[in-house]
Amino acid sequence: MLYQIFVDPFAQMVSMPDFLIQVIWEGFVAGILYALIALGFVLIFKASGVFNFAQGIMVVFAGLTLVGLHEAGVPAFLALILAIGVMALLAIAVERFVMRPLVNQPEIILLMSTIGMTYFLIGFGEFVFGGEPKQMITEELGLPTGSSAFEIGEQGLVILQHIDIAAAVIAIIMVASLALFFNKTRIGRALRAVADDHQAAQSVGISLNQIWAIVWFAAGIVALATGIMWGARSDVSFALEIVALKALPVLILGGFTSIPGAIVGGLIIGIGEKIGEIYWGPLVGGGIESWLAYMIALVFLLFRPQGLFGERIIERV
Amino acid sequence: MNRAVDPRDLAMDGDGLAKGEVLLEVKNVSLRFGGVKAITDISFDIRKGEIRAIIGPNGAGKTSMLNVINGFYTPQEGTITFRGEERKKIAPYQAAASGIARTFQNVALFKGMTTLDNIMAGRTLAMHRNFLWQLLYFGPALNEEIANRRKVEEIIDFLEIQHIRKVPVGRLPYGLQKRVELGRALAAQPSLLLLDEPMAGMNLEEKEDMSRFILDVNSQFGTTIALIEHDMGVVMDISDRVVVLDYGRKIGDGTPDEVKANQDVIDAYLGVSHQDEGEG
Ligand SMILES: Nc1ncnc2c1ncn2[C@@H]1O[C@H](COP(=O)(O)OP(=O)(O)OP(=O)(O)O)[C@@H](O)[C@H]1O
Ligand SMILES: [Mg+2]
Repeated sequence: MLYQIFVDPFAQMVSMPDFLIQVIWEGFVAGILYALIALGFVLIFKASGVFNFAQGIMVVFAGLTLVGLHEAGVPAFLALILAIGVMALLAIAVERFVMRPLVNQPEIILLMSTIGMTYFLIGFGEFVFGGEPKQMITEELGLPTGSSAFEIGEQGLVILQHIDIAAAVIAIIMVASLALFFNKTRIGRALRAVADDHQAAQSVGISLNQIWAIVWFAAGIVALATGIMWGARSDVSFALEIVALKALPVLILGGFTSIPGAIVGGLIIGIGEKIGEIYWGPLVGGGIESWLAYMIALVFLLFRPQGLFGERIIERV
Repeated sequence: MNRAVDPRDLAMDGDGLAKGEVLLEVKNVSLRFGGVKAITDISFDIRKGEIRAIIGPNGAGKTSMLNVINGFYTPQEGTITFRGEERKKIAPYQAAASGIARTFQNVALFKGMTTLDNIMAGRTLAMHRNFLWQLLYFGPALNEEIANRRKVEEIIDFLEIQHIRKVPVGRLPYGLQKRVELGRALAAQPSLLLLDEPMAGMNLEEKEDMSRFILDVNSQFGTTIALIEHDMGVVMDISDRVVVLDYGRKIGDGTPDEVKANQDVIDAYLGVSHQDEGEG
């Protein structure tokens, strides 16, 4: 038994390095998607202290909107632009009808309201687009669909799906542009200011309402990108919402306020989960995806209670 | 002092008022929190170009008064007239847009950001390129960023804090944090600057520096200043007129000499009516 846990999996890894690389790559791609969902959470949590339970459903809703518009005869790119517009409208509506009226309420009330929003979006989405799973319009959007095989060593082979490579590239571009936006522009600075101190931010002329609408919009864009990528790998359905819960261990690991934490945390969970599933999963008869992510997060927390990038608290004495 | 700053460069935007005209008028303002009367029927004015001190024992309602002026609190009664415009209710960001900047009693900086970014944040209202331009970042939004950056560097020179430009402010000692906060308020080029105990917790030397900055801001940039301060020496030294609050009521108003001679004020500070005042 001990042999099976502590030796055999590693022996397998060494004897078939190409397969190990394949597993890591698959985990990496899943990790990117976890990271993107977590990123949406972090944006909103930083700026408003709201734990946005609806981030997962926003991914589904954004994907459905895109596919639904296309099905209704709108050309793919126009549908993409319209879907962005829908996310903007959603952001404005959330700011106006959820954030603004509830602003000084306890956090639990705001959390509850995002749970309410989740069910609203599910109902509304099903009403407009129907409940059955849909095919993502991958090719129509100009995303690659093939795959390439790479030889590793003597007779090893690693297969990379082009859509996965595209997902990685798009995620990197998106995170880099967000970083640039946050650090170099007035509105980015205003977002950071609001995250640090609401009163001071208002005193320099920042409107909290405007900032909230902007972060919800940013989270909406991230959700749309996630919905496209994820939809391209499986399909677009409300089942995705469950997968979005994977963001929670990512947040536990990466911290609720750290963007690098969300990204690195997502990758660790994605890769760790895949490796665990493939090499150790058979020992317990499989089916460990549902809790392994939490295990990984908890084990990390044993060693770093403040989370991966937990903002060190500088206390004055 | 030889400073490389041209005062006209940092002067506040013109508000069309001549020195000595009423810039802000507070009329019969009352503010309650549930049963607590923070401010009761207070009236006073602030004139263009002056340094107006607001003093009083702890809990007198001074901070509440500033919060009313910049829109954090909405009084139940009374009106505020700023630059000739009367208002009943105003959002803090609108107050900022109308030319009111402030600092806080407990330093309220953006702790994770550098000195430079904190002061740049103070220029939020001077930058107009909208969200879409900002997304593009290059082009007009970038030019705007550069122009504003220049202004911010002037403020940094003026306050003599070049050496901490890139330091996250959470790591700075308290005295410097207060100075950065002043810089952030100045960055807006306000026509009315509200300072809530800018020298609290400072040593003598730091207090002298801060007094000098306040006087320079007032004389070089022509900025009108409302100042809350517990140090009577400083208050009597640098202010033109003083309003005295106690238990939410106004008990004195006039030049430093007049206020010093006012019997109610003396009583309040000597603790004749109540026994809780240690500072001053
Ligand atoms: N947000 C609030 N909620 C409830 N009560 C408040 C609030 N703000 C101020 N108060 C009360 O109003 C009164 C005046 O407070 P304020 O902070 O204005 O006094 P202050 O003159 O600034 O005192 P200090 O010199 O200690 O700063 C106090 O009794 C205070 O407890
Ligand atoms: Mg106070």
